[in-house]
Amino acid sequence: MADIRSALATNMRQNVAFYIAIAMLASLYLVYNLMHPRGFSAAVLIQNSNESVAIIFLAMAQTVPVLLGGLDLSVGAIMTLANCVASVVVNGSPGQIVLGMIITLATGTAFGFMNGLIVVYGRLQPIIATLATGAIAIGLALFIRPVPGGNVDGDISWALTNDLYEFVATYGLFDADAAWFKPIAWIPVPLLIVVVIAFGVWLPFKRTVTGRTIYAVGSAEGAAFMSGLPLNRAKIAAFTLAGFFAACGGLYLAIQTSSGNADITQAGAYTLNSIAAVVVGGTSLLGGVGGAIGSMVGALILRVISFYFRIVSIDPLLQPLIEGLVLLAAVSLGAFRTLQVKNRLNLFR
Amino acid sequence: MKLGTLVSTTIMGLMLSTSLTLAGPETVSGPGANPECFAPWDADTKYMQWSAKEGPYKIAVVNGFVGNGWRIQMIKTAKAFAEDPSMKDKIAEFKVVSTGTDAPAQLGAIEDFINQGYDAIVTIAVAPEGFDRVIRLADKNDVVLVPFDNVLDTDAVMQVNEDQLLMGRTWAEFALKELAAKGITSGDILEVRGLAGNSVDRDRSIGINEVLEADAGDWKVTQVVGNWDDGTAQKVVADAIAVHGEFDAIIAQGGTVGVVQAMIDSGHPFVPVTGESENGFRKLVAKYSGEGLKGISIGQSPGLVAIAMKAAVSALEGNVMPQLISVPLPIADYTQLEDGKNFWSELPDNFFTVNEFPPCGVNISGPSIMAQSEADVK
Repeated sequence: MADIRSALATNMRQNVAFYIAIAMLASLYLVYNLMHPRGFSAAVLIQNSNESVAIIFLAMAQTVPVLLGGLDLSVGAIMTLANCVASVVVNGSPGQIVLGMIITLATGTAFGFMNGLIVVYGRLQPIIATLATGAIAIGLALFIRPVPGGNVDGDISWALTNDLYEFVATYGLFDADAAWFKPIAWIPVPLLIVVVIAFGVWLPFKRTVTGRTIYAVGSAEGAAFMSGLPLNRAKIAAFTLAGFFAACGGLYLAIQTSSGNADITQAGAYTLNSIAAVVVGGTSLLGGVGGAIGSMVGALILRVISFYFRIVSIDPLLQPLIEGLVLLAAVSLGAFRTLQVKNRLNLFR
Repeated sequence: MKLGTLVSTTIMGLMLSTSLTLAGPETVSGPGANPECFAPWDADTKYMQWSAKEGPYKIAVVNGFVGNGWRIQMIKTAKAFAEDPSMKDKIAEFKVVSTGTDAPAQLGAIEDFINQGYDAIVTIAVAPEGFDRVIRLADKNDVVLVPFDNVLDTDAVMQVNEDQLLMGRTWAEFALKELAAKGITSGDILEVRGLAGNSVDRDRSIGINEVLEADAGDWKVTQVVGNWDDGTAQKVVADAIAVHGEFDAIIAQGGTVGVVQAMIDSGHPFVPVTGESENGFRKLVAKYSGEGLKGISIGQSPGLVAIAMKAAVSALEGNVMPQLISVPLPIADYTQLEDGKNFWSELPDNFFTVNEFPPCGVNISGPSIMAQSEADVK
């Protein structure tokens, strides 16, 4: 029992930034709901989760290269590419739709894999390599979809952007009014998708040798090499996984908007916001500390801050300034402990 | 069956609100209310009518990108118009948010205002597609959604815009006319485009190229992307001149001050130039038109936001409205410029000269709106 408690205490101490982020998200979201005229309702939760999915996936995508100590500047571009691919292939019969989704995810994953190969075998800095490949991804996206448009299946779009009740009702899976279904019928589908991917892909991956090697590379690459860890495999896997998560974001974006749009500005904004979300979520830009779940929380914090502008009257031209200030405060909270310690080794104890 | 089930289940399952009697506007026959202000796009434009609601109304403006002069002037105009005596009593609550170039955030903001029980939402769409879900929700909740400026590729909502295609055509026709007057009937034309992927940019460019292709002369068009921004436009035009040499005319969509500045800096001879309604552009044309800078200035007015707000209120009052409202193009060429009337030589370059639309009771002029401090507008 004492062991468990001390293990928990160590976990808390080692992941202070993550727990601070969770506490911050919880309090921000609670106050938001209290102030919202329709707070704590399913409609608000659905709207909030729909708006957050793309940025959550991008933050998770960004986390993996950051854990290595690198940055991936192509995540926004891969999302845009996947968005445009999806706008072409995700329609038709249910079988074709599923195939289209697989093609979309495979495109992003393959692109991430290519990033990994370039970083490992081209021996380029990730930040430079991905800057270049990001431009390639945008170029491909523009080629596929020179003007916004496309036709993603309307049913899938409606079903996946609502609560479980709508999902079941749209496809007539079973009687959506069944009594046993009531307690979970309100859960937004986008929330489920995020949770399933985060806990179904990230957590198992993190526990593999490859996953742990990513952390090891970020902490001390030399030591990891001397320990005989598979460095190249870990690096390639990290970028591939980033490509996969970014493609998830792009696919959802296509489903949400029923269309594809090779929006360069949006791609850039998402890349930058993904880095911000990673930092707010407690992952160190130096690598080795943090995780995708933290980044998910970080992304949600970014989003909730902007939710406030819709319920509080703030001068529209001051909103970016205030958003920046709150963001700075959020990042500083996580870094507070770093300022206090005399010996940086204490951070890892 | 699917749609029917969807409609009913959505109302039951999603919306806990009480007033669910009606779903969206009805298509009716024209003419609409106040046709001098709310002119239908063309003869085929259909008319819409929402059930009348009791005022005062809750109105939100959901802007996308923010950070250029046009958007700032638009936001200031929106706030000033909400305080205008003709509108003040009709508005219970007024909010403006900018989401940045972020489609999920903009869709989310619109849905949030629908959830909050707003009566009308005025928006500049970040993309011409992708709004199906919020249009559906707006109709379910009898919310009037009014995209303006960057409009949607749909006829399911009421929209307000200037005819971008016509604007492109007018620019190209002016350039050809001026070139013909100089005796030039074929040659090189530089087209400076706006933000990529945007419906306004697309339509203007289509209009420009339609006219050039239909012309008997052989025109070689070089395209550069200036993002409607002075700095970007100046850079790309300077690059184009450096690489290509001389052009016979420059057809720009915006960032026109930068375009002309690039010509001056590179020693490019003055040629016919088309552009937006920036005060600085009009100043330059007035100054140099004698030396060959024959310019035409057509404005996409930031005052469109005021017309969109007025249209939203009119729709909420139950009036018959055209689905697509056409606001006349404010055109001024080098022969029509008059200091203190349609440009102001003592005022800065970076505001848009056309802001007021007297037939609509929108009388907030460019200089007055930009002269006001934030405190004054509140």
